[in-house]
Amino acid sequence: MSFDPELFIHAMSHRAPPYILEHLNLVLIPMCIAVLIALPTSIMLTRPAYRRFTSRIMAVFNAGQTIPPLAVIAIFFPFLGLGYAPAILALSIYALLPIARNTITAISSVPQDVKEAARGMGMTPWEVLRKVELPLSVPGIMTGIKTSAVLTVSTAVLAALVGGKGMGAVIFAGINFFQAELILAGTVYIGIMAVLIERMLTLLEWYLSPSHLK
Amino acid sequence: MIELINVTKIFPGAPSPSVDNVSFRVNQGNICVLLGPSGCGKTTILRMMNRLEEPSSGKILINSENTLKSDPSALRRSIGYVIQQTGLLPHRTVARNIALVPGLLGWPQEKINSRVDELLKLMGLDSGDIADKYPHQLSGGQMQRVGVARAMAADPPIMLMDEPFGAVDPIIRIRLQDEFLKLQQQVRKTICFVTHDINEAIKMADYLIIFNQGRLVQMGSPVEVLTSPADDFVLSLIGDDRGVKILDLTRAETLMEPADNISDDLLGSGCTVQSYQPVKLALEVMMKKNQDRVGVCRGNHLAGTLSWSDIKRHINKVSGEESEL
Amino acid sequence: MDIINFTLNNAGLVLEYTFNHLSLVLIVLLISLALWISTGLIISWHDRLAGTVISLSNILFCIPSISLFGLFMTMPGFGLGRNTAVVVLVIYAMMPLVRSVYLGVKSVDASVVDAGKGMGMTPLQILLQIRIPMAWPMIFAGMRVSIVIVTGIATMATFIGEKNLGRLIHQGITRGDSDMIITGAIIVACMALLLDFIMARIQRRVISPGLRFDT
Repeated sequence: MSFDPELFIHAMSHRAPPYILEHLNLVLIPMCIAVLIALPTSIMLTRPAYRRFTSRIMAVFNAGQTIPPLAVIAIFFPFLGLGYAPAILALSIYALLPIARNTITAISSVPQDVKEAARGMGMTPWEVLRKVELPLSVPGIMTGIKTSAVLTVSTAVLAALVGGKGMGAVIFAGINFFQAELILAGTVYIGIMAVLIERMLTLLEWYLSPSHLK
Repeated sequence: MIELINVTKIFPGAPSPSVDNVSFRVNQGNICVLLGPSGCGKTTILRMMNRLEEPSSGKILINSENTLKSDPSALRRSIGYVIQQTGLLPHRTVARNIALVPGLLGWPQEKINSRVDELLKLMGLDSGDIADKYPHQLSGGQMQRVGVARAMAADPPIMLMDEPFGAVDPIIRIRLQDEFLKLQQQVRKTICFVTHDINEAIKMADYLIIFNQGRLVQMGSPVEVLTSPADDFVLSLIGDDRGVKILDLTRAETLMEPADNISDDLLGSGCTVQSYQPVKLALEVMMKKNQDRVGVCRGNHLAGTLSWSDIKRHINKVSGEESEL
Repeated sequence: MDIINFTLNNAGLVLEYTFNHLSLVLIVLLISLALWISTGLIISWHDRLAGTVISLSNILFCIPSISLFGLFMTMPGFGLGRNTAVVVLVIYAMMPLVRSVYLGVKSVDASVVDAGKGMGMTPLQILLQIRIPMAWPMIFAGMRVSIVIVTGIATMATFIGEKNLGRLIHQGITRGDSDMIITGAIIVACMALLLDFIMARIQRRVISPGLRFDT
């Protein structure tokens, strides 16, 4: 079957755009939730009191990543039914993992001697965290957030299966009707959104990075 | 025998040559030490000898054959190469590391095995099961010894060594240097040895070549260099204590005065050194026995005496007017 | 929620789907290893190609799986079915494998390569006796990552006709049957973990003890 450029242009200009905002919601809201939950929790997990649990927790996180996004999206459906809420919930949980993993790794790999020097100068543990560990971990943490964001843009496509709509609606329509033009249009917009979000987060990272890393 | 003729090396984009019109010879059976500060070009010169770098101009002859005319890999297999980081293959056991070049040369397995055993014994590595250990399980000194053993595996007549003992503790370094010198007495290879450590250079060298910013500054035996430094640069390289340094290289018999009757007491009290031993040892004996002279012996009989003032006079002579001992 | 009963009652179906899923993953794995490990080796030899190939694999990897499945499905010659699924999954396996082979071979300790060269090894001998053996830990890591990823993405192949665990999950959504969904999800996760575990075991066997303390 041949590719119909007119249909493609129509899809790009009329069919897909209405779903852009919806899709962005499906990305930004879960990302905010994921960051708000994952960051404090991960930071807490790197504290000496919880250090013994860290490797076990990381093992659970790694195991969790083996569950395919389709399953994660679907899991809440039986309990919460169709709609926006279960989609957001599932996407939030899926977005948690990369952020948590990268944050824990980044904070744990701050060199020991830098931390000890800070303690030796009289900083309280809280100050060491705020002024030493966190600034030095910014690149690693931002990588986790960026990975998670790009992943969520992709995974949010599946939200269409559980009633969350978004750009997935266009793509699945294309699959059901065997229309590559729709699939392509939807994919192009996903790509654009992913690149834009990644660029914005890179700017944010630059803004937050301590000056010596710039 | 290695010969460099008007060798120059300019790296692309560099403002000046790393090696500037250098010519010298490494004689058969000698340890020739290339000495100089970081960046003086000594490592580049070494690496040009086995064609890891190629000269921009000039030529290098090994046993009268131009290195640029031979196949590089074949050339390198006939030259032993030891580097500071050892470069041991971490995924192979000590035995298989040592067996590397013989393997490349296609030796039969039994020949390789017996050669490996021979070398392990020679380098003092035949205890325990070191042969089957992996590099990461070895101490720094052991790793360096394996590096040397590996370079000697195919019994190459020439060896290139780039700060081979640099990465270990000073105590181990001294031991490795001593062991290597003893080994060299047996095998008498032609060795080109690079270092930035003046003390190591003086100890190891049959003769020294000093480099500064790519140029050859002075060439000569350790005693020659210590007694007649060519310029201020060499002087500063040697250090202010060159008078004392030379005590290590001067034999007691060189400075001794003829024996007299008083000196018989020295024999009795054991305040003696052998004639071939360094003057520095004589100083130590003097301090231990709280005397200002020692007897110099050949075997069991007294050949002469060496006094503190003799030594002082010699140091003054060597140091020139600058020192005030 | 009664997963056990569900599985027992529909054992035939569950087994069929599991088997299809596993066979798809294994076929993809074999093809991917052969294809992408050689690609990785080639680009580590010819540096000029490296940048393009790696960028390409990154871009392909970021495309949502459903899109790639859908697009290939609509292309003439592909359509629904296993062939399309295999092609798409092999494409997803590209990024982790090519990257890990390339990085593994390139980031080998330079002083070991220098020593090898100085002792008279030809470039080919250096590749075969130094770079590749020392790169194994990283290559293996890439293999494990790609197996887990492929196992997960294979669920999406249900949308182009594959009857695997993804179908169990999708049908669970359509029918509102939570047991189906959860069964499907658990089996996929277990499969991924099991395959990763097996790879880890193989890794212990294959990789030189001298390198193991690195990983």
